Amino acid sequence: MLLTMRSGIEEAYRAPDRSASAVAQAMASGALMGARGNSGVILSQIWRGLAQGLAEKESFTGSDLADALLQASMMAYKGLSNPVEGTILTVVREAASAAQAQASSGSNDLISVMEAVVSAANESVANTPTLLPVLRECGVVDAGGQGLYTLLEGALRYLRGEVEQMQFRKPQMIVSNIPLAARTPQMLAAEEVPYGYCTEFLLKGEKLDPGKLRARLEKKGQSLIVVGDESTVRVHIHTLDPGNIIHYAASLGTMHQVSIRNMDEQHQDFLQMQRERMPATDMAIIAVVSGDGLADILGSLGVAATVPGGQTMNPSTKDLLQAVESVASDKVIILPNNKNIVLTAEQVQSLTAKSIEVVPTETIPQGIAALLAFDYEADLETNAQLMNKAKSAVKSIEITRAIRSTQLGGLKIKKKQAIGFLDGELVAVGDNTTDVLIEALARLDLGEAEVITIYYGADTELAEVEQVSFSLREQHSQLQVEVVRGGQPHYNYIVSVE
Amino acid sequence: MAVKIVTDSLSDITSDIAQGLGITVVPLTVSFGKESFLDRVTMTTDEFYHKLTHDPNWPRTTQPPPGDFIDVYNKLAEETDEILVITLSSKLSGTYESALNARSLVEKECRIEVIDSLTVAMGLGLIVIAAAKVAQTGANLDELVDLVRRAMPRSHLVAYFDTLKYLAKGGRIGKAQGLLGAMLSIKPILTVKDGEMSPLTRLRSRTAGMDYLYNFVAGFPHIEGLAVEHATTPDDADRLVERLSSVFSKERIYRSTISPVVGTYAGPDAMAVSILEAEGK
Repeated sequence: MLLTMRSGIEEAYRAPDRSASAVAQAMASGALMGARGNSGVILSQIWRGLAQGLAEKESFTGSDLADALLQASMMAYKGLSNPVEGTILTVVREAASAAQAQASSGSNDLISVMEAVVSAANESVANTPTLLPVLRECGVVDAGGQGLYTLLEGALRYLRGEVEQMQFRKPQMIVSNIPLAARTPQMLAAEEVPYGYCTEFLLKGEKLDPGKLRARLEKKGQSLIVVGDESTVRVHIHTLDPGNIIHYAASLGTMHQVSIRNMDEQHQDFLQMQRERMPATDMAIIAVVSGDGLADILGSLGVAATVPGGQTMNPSTKDLLQAVESVASDKVIILPNNKNIVLTAEQVQSLTAKSIEVVPTETIPQGIAALLAFDYEADLETNAQLMNKAKSAVKSIEITRAIRSTQLGGLKIKKKQAIGFLDGELVAVGDNTTDVLIEALARLDLGEAEVITIYYGADTELAEVEQVSFSLREQHSQLQVEVVRGGQPHYNYIVSVE
Repeated sequence: MAVKIVTDSLSDITSDIAQGLGITVVPLTVSFGKESFLDRVTMTTDEFYHKLTHDPNWPRTTQPPPGDFIDVYNKLAEETDEILVITLSSKLSGTYESALNARSLVEKECRIEVIDSLTVAMGLGLIVIAAAKVAQTGANLDELVDLVRRAMPRSHLVAYFDTLKYLAKGGRIGKAQGLLGAMLSIKPILTVKDGEMSPLTRLRSRTAGMDYLYNFVAGFPHIEGLAVEHATTPDDADRLVERLSSVFSKERIYRSTISPVVGTYAGPDAMAVSILEAEGK
């Protein structure tokens, strides 16, 4: 983006006259000529739209700017065959609509409009992880959006006459507005298709048709961007076969600034960088879990990868092995979080060169207790011991519904009745899950407990849980009661008592 | 002429201790919005925590300007020709730089050594106290520098944070960053490692936190110095000291309060213990 912008600015200085229209036009064509990378090409589109909006204008007002930004936003979307939200596109669109709103209000001078633009862009960037899962998983905001924000903020500061300060000031980096569940990118890598080659070039010729070119290239790769006019077209595509694309383009005109980069290599570099940035050591923890809420919680506590599974859907040894191989570390701790998965997990060691420790956690509360005990300084073996010890310090209650009628531990159970387990032992049966939970809790001496955490399932109403937590707090003032959405299937409640 | 010992207010050395051992404490500045205070001079730690929890402004701490150190050096140079300055970790504040830069501007002939302790709070305080005690016996500057360098790896600080809220608000502090984003309420235990705050482990309750602090101390067979610090909960500190009296003489346990730089991240209700391990063995 920096290179694209630099190229745009160089050209802007060469504008034939100093009218807004000529400068914007020159900047747009400079940006297009020099555009690099995904965001760079989109940026060149933004300037092109802006230039169109400012066409034939000697100078411009706040309202003109708002209109031009709207054009810029539309032009940015137009260049892409498959616009993705949560990127620079969203940022320019939201900034443009903020400009519109400001321009139609009372104070529509240039500075007020730019202020509205910058503040909307800031919010929009912070919001990108909410819109784009890949950002959320990596714990970052969109880089292109951040880049655009930086440019807009620079423009505003120029308008305010704060040129001096800008030279000594680092750009403000926006942080995401959602709590980030830091997951390592290694797991992502395992899920994604190979990137292939990032192929970029400038095509010059006569009577070029960007629309036709785009249609032709659409199926040949991903992240396709085709922008330009009949004499100059900029192409950006991620493809497995760059030769094919070059061959076709060469038949239409002359090619310039051809760049083909191996993205898998880049991705490896990125992974390496992430690895160096990671807080914890050379060890990774893998956990078996079901429910998006629980997976997020485990991720937020430092689990490197989760493997879906639990009651009625035990993962295979192969599933666990894949997760083990997908993380960067050579030392891996596995938390099975279910009695029936412990053995499976123990098989993994024989199939990998990595060092594996299985901490035989049988419930999610045990898994979380073990996870919290992880010591950043200790080695694999010591950690396995610490985690093993910590898991026994917690009591687990699980409430689910019977899948068939049976008799168990002296209790008669009808199909679909609510049943409660305390550390795997059936202790309560009833019609209502909440009542069963209360009955199971009554088995414990809560006067001695400090923290109760209730993870409620996908089929459980928050209001019901609040009721339980309220009465727990009433009865035991020393208790710290926490209610968290686990989102797990089958189990209405999973509760830890510490 | 005895060597004079200088440190900064983040050593958490109370004025009683400072006076008793002839230690000069240079205060850092704490600002809330436009109001500025000298740590432990124009603002007590109680006032700091009150403002931390009530003032809408986020506190900023600023290192003492070199001028403050120059004044201290000039004054002490009237009485001695050797000064030892021990500052908090240079990774947490620019105080070390200030102390260093001030050296060249001292008027009188005086040897000044500045040491970056790579720790903070009583982790630093205990080192300073040890140095001051030996200085009183007439040790020279070289001996004291050697003593401090040998004490540094034996100084251990462990802090219990009651909440991650302030850590999150305050932005990054080294590797402790990794604790943020947790979706359960957790009570982190942190230490200072390589000059930075670094996470040790995470607990779910305050009781477990106090147990951790106790067990941490109890795990050291030979303790030379021990300090217990609180932010806003002196009663909890009393109870911890009482418990610790089984492993270390209660009268010799230093008590203090966690001052602003750490307090800004730790928040109210935090607790810390520092140990200076005995040498040898």
